[in-house]
Amino acid sequence: MISETLPTATAENRFIRAKNLMAAMVGFHRGLFLIAVSGAAVFAVATVLSSYGVKLLIDEVILPSFAEGTVGFSMWASVSGLVVTIGLVRAVGVVVRRTYAGKANSSTAKSIADKALRHIMRQPPMWHRSRMTGDVAARAGVDTDAAAAILGPMPFASSVIVLLAVSGVWLIVTDLWLGLFAFLVFPLMLATNILYQRKVDYHYQVAQDELGALSEAAHESFDGVLVVKAFGAEERETERLAVISRRLRKARTKAITLRSTFESVIDAAPSLVNIAIIAFGAVRVRDGGMTVGELSAFVFLFTLVSLPLRIVSYLFSELPHSASGWARVQQVLQEPLLSAPRDAINRTTSTTVLPSGAAAVHMVELRDVRAEHVPGVAALDHVNLRVERGRTVAIVGATGCGKTTLLHVIAGLVPVSRGDLSVGTSRVGLVFQEAFLFAESLRYNLTLGAPVSEAVIADALRIASADGFVSELGVSLDTELGERGVSLSGGQRQRLALARALAVGSELLLLDDTTSALDPGTEAEVLNNLRTLGASVTTLVVASRPSTIALADSVIFMADGAIAAAGPHDELLRSNADYRTLIQAFEHDRQTTTPTGAR
Amino acid sequence: MLTDDITQELRRRGAVDTIRAGIAQAPALGKGLGLTFGLALLGAAGRVTIPIAIQQAIDKGFVDGGVRLDFITRLCGVAALVVLLAALCQRTAVYRLGTSAEEGLYGLRVRLFDHIHRLSLADQNEERRGALVARVTSDIETLTMFFAWGGLAWMLDLSLMFVVACVMMAYDWVLAVVAFAVVAPLIIVLRLVQSRLVRAYDRVREGNAAMLSSISETVAGVETLQAYDAVEPALQRVEAATEKRARSSIRAGFIGALLFPSGEVFSVFTVVAVVGIGVWRGDAAGLTAGSLVGFMFLTYRFLEPIAEFTEVIDQTQTAVAGLRRVLGILDTPIGPPPATNPVPLPVGRLGVALHDVTFAYAPRDDEPATNVLTSLTLTIPPGQHIALVGESGAGKTTVARLVARLADPTKGRITIGAVNVKHVANDDLRRRLTVVPQEPFLFADTIAYNLRFAKPTATDAELATAVRSLELDDWVASLADGLETKVGQRGASLAAGERQMVALLRASLVNPDVLILDEATSSVDALTEVRLARALRKLSAGRTTISIAHRLSTAARADRVVLLADGRILEDGSHDILMANGGEYRRMYDAWLTATRA
Repeated sequence: MISETLPTATAENRFIRAKNLMAAMVGFHRGLFLIAVSGAAVFAVATVLSSYGVKLLIDEVILPSFAEGTVGFSMWASVSGLVVTIGLVRAVGVVVRRTYAGKANSSTAKSIADKALRHIMRQPPMWHRSRMTGDVAARAGVDTDAAAAILGPMPFASSVIVLLAVSGVWLIVTDLWLGLFAFLVFPLMLATNILYQRKVDYHYQVAQDELGALSEAAHESFDGVLVVKAFGAEERETERLAVISRRLRKARTKAITLRSTFESVIDAAPSLVNIAIIAFGAVRVRDGGMTVGELSAFVFLFTLVSLPLRIVSYLFSELPHSASGWARVQQVLQEPLLSAPRDAINRTTSTTVLPSGAAAVHMVELRDVRAEHVPGVAALDHVNLRVERGRTVAIVGATGCGKTTLLHVIAGLVPVSRGDLSVGTSRVGLVFQEAFLFAESLRYNLTLGAPVSEAVIADALRIASADGFVSELGVSLDTELGERGVSLSGGQRQRLALARALAVGSELLLLDDTTSALDPGTEAEVLNNLRTLGASVTTLVVASRPSTIALADSVIFMADGAIAAAGPHDELLRSNADYRTLIQAFEHDRQTTTPTGAR
Repeated sequence: MLTDDITQELRRRGAVDTIRAGIAQAPALGKGLGLTFGLALLGAAGRVTIPIAIQQAIDKGFVDGGVRLDFITRLCGVAALVVLLAALCQRTAVYRLGTSAEEGLYGLRVRLFDHIHRLSLADQNEERRGALVARVTSDIETLTMFFAWGGLAWMLDLSLMFVVACVMMAYDWVLAVVAFAVVAPLIIVLRLVQSRLVRAYDRVREGNAAMLSSISETVAGVETLQAYDAVEPALQRVEAATEKRARSSIRAGFIGALLFPSGEVFSVFTVVAVVGIGVWRGDAAGLTAGSLVGFMFLTYRFLEPIAEFTEVIDQTQTAVAGLRRVLGILDTPIGPPPATNPVPLPVGRLGVALHDVTFAYAPRDDEPATNVLTSLTLTIPPGQHIALVGESGAGKTTVARLVARLADPTKGRITIGAVNVKHVANDDLRRRLTVVPQEPFLFADTIAYNLRFAKPTATDAELATAVRSLELDDWVASLADGLETKVGQRGASLAAGERQMVALLRASLVNPDVLILDEATSSVDALTEVRLARALRKLSAGRTTISIAHRLSTAARADRVVLLADGRILEDGSHDILMANGGEYRRMYDAWLTATRA
């Protein structure tokens, strides 16, 4: 598991984390971000100008016309033109800001996801085996999205600085006291926003955790439906889930209480400030310090400024979520790539001269090999093995004796920690115990993206005895498999996995109990088909059915991570007592069922 | 297009019906909604206070070059009071909407849990399980999000627009009509672009789902991909998916960006039009400078919510779709209905009988209903151990499910102890009959917790007795924490054989008279095999037992073998008799024997 301990958030390192996050996110697509910020700046300046337009409409058009009874059309037209232009420029600013903030966000999310997944996929299997698949996938998916999400509100929030500066200057130039008053109110409103956000985020976080717990419990409860029904526990289970739902409701209700108060305060505050501006401004108008238009424009401006202030608080609210997403992505990115065991395999073959005088080419050769899943604990030790090209070798042993590990070592998925391993080909087709099929076309599942002709695919399906059900199911090479497509039985999946190994031209087949999900007849058929391939394919097969074992040229009998004996099946049955016992255990069923008569 | 309009109309009616049905299922959602909206309207009054105050100040405060400060002071005092009262109303409205939404959604969730637990097993299969979890979490969540944001926005914004429109009409209806006329094209623009936006968001969701599943599949398949040196092509496929997702969200973002300032753009045009016509009509029409300024402010306010609307439309549609899916589950009929006048099962050993039983799964989508069992009659005397054999799909599991009343037969009846199971109370039945499923399901807790799932009142001593009676003491002793050993998610920390032992222990705690065993197919090591066989023998001793036998060795050990084929009984008798008869069972048995022999 990747460590979950993120640095504790003191105020200072929260600030540093936020700064680092923002710098990192902006860095991926700086150009797009800068365009978004420019759009936001245009918007900010136009916002202040639009309230100046309001002043002009009042001071130059409305008031004179009512005072004098007439107004020049040209004055109305020119002020209107200005107001409309400012409005359009402001809208363009909004469009540019939102479009490019979105572009920066989406492009950054893609860049990080691609980078993280590339890194993850280069890690060898032992890295993956020590981690949860879902967690690793989340780091390339939802976590990268969370990290990049901060780019959404950032341009708008940065424009708030421009907005406050420009409107502040205008306010102070027009009226020093009113300007100072506003400058007192802006930070106060900003602080209220941020304070609220932090408080409410706590409740949202609690609710989020409860939701996670609920989802997990619901999953479990529905998965166990048969048990729930069998023991008549429907009501107990509903109550168990209802308890979690009540905790969720409680957290949400707390957030709502806080929020309803805050929303009303934050809506009422600009109105109250505006009322103060009217009262205070009236005195200034009386003194001739400002015009009625300016007074109205300030009221207008204040309403416009209060919205961006809220965006800043959204930014603050988004920060922890984004920062922890980014931290989780970085954890995987910063983990050094472990060396791939495949690269350490010696790809040469040795040859020995048999007593008959013929030369035997060894496709696989292990000399005193040791392998460990957990450091210091041998899963395989002192393994010496030679497999001649074109042979079919059965690997037999009790559960946990190292059969699968042996295949994975040869396939280059598990590293050799001592000894030498030579495999005479890089075309190794490992067929796992559990066939992994992708929710993709049949063709992709058979070729994994390699260019393979239809004829070769057809041949592979035939040898794997998969052609029959493929045509019966009416599946074409482009039919999608899995969730959204055709669902297959375990035996069918196994045969497709075997066909895959053949289609990509494997010279060494490693079958990990592959044929066990097949009925005995089909299993024999598949193994016989494989034998027809002759010297072009060497096969190592983990087997537990006596009938299967008997089909192999020779047997490797494993016990406790080592090879206990090797030789033809009949010979081992004669010479090795342990082997005999094991085969008898495999035949257990047959023996216990020998009719005993009195029943 | 006409057809388009009809579909639109149908869809809209569908949405309204969906919401109505939703409120019927979660009455708390609709309770007091009228009062909440009333308060929201009063709250909106706070947001027209400033335009009115400015109008009053200009018309009555700033007169003849002078300023009446006393009037302004009074005006500001009243305005502040109105703003505060309105804020209080708004707070109450927001609170009421939020809490009743949480109350309603809580109720809906619990209803869903209850309903899903009562669904028949046919509606609960593995493929649908992920979907069921999605209903109680993400679909309800879309509703939560809706009430927290979209629903709130609709309430507050519609109230605001309504109140502003009223005040505008009160000031000058001619100007108000002018304002509405200039705004009219906006409605058309919104309608045109909105459907594009909704489609664009749909594509973002699709792209997102495709990207996430592509990523998780690639990570899950890492060993296969590396073993076949196929990592690079797989990465390229994922990159195509991330590219597609990025493009779709950029596109949706662009459409949204165009739509977002539309309210502001229109308000600029509306304002200049209103000011122009206002000054042109002038005093003669009874207008004042103040009312024109106030009107101008109101116009800006009127169109303020448009930006928010463009953002919540998509969310609203998502929420309605989520609600529709939730209601779909609640509309699915539940499994066997509880007995209305329950008849108690007789004391003592119980026999089981199926009388002329036919079963067909309800037709689904385009698949017609086909019989799984056809006119099946079978009598199992008390204490007999029968094995059901047959190919997969022959109806073995269905027989077991019907006897356990996990489903009801389409025709015919099933009796336990001569009582029709339909008339047996669920509690009574579960105390007397137990199922051990093929893949025993364990909860992520201790072994003891899982055992007590069968009998919550079981004492430690009872658990120990159960362990001893199935001769599993040595196994329990071999565990680090004994019965307090954690089993992990779905029992993953235990081996397959160990999970079966827990399942057998769990069944033994019920001490049932009728036992239904669905034999496991997973292979276990020899020692475990011996232990399991022994425990099974102990457990089934003296009980009426129905085994679904996948291994013919199990069949050979039973008192009686029933061979099913295509939902009918093909052969019925003891192992020896069926073997002697030389029928289909004999053929199966011989084939199986050959396969398992070296």
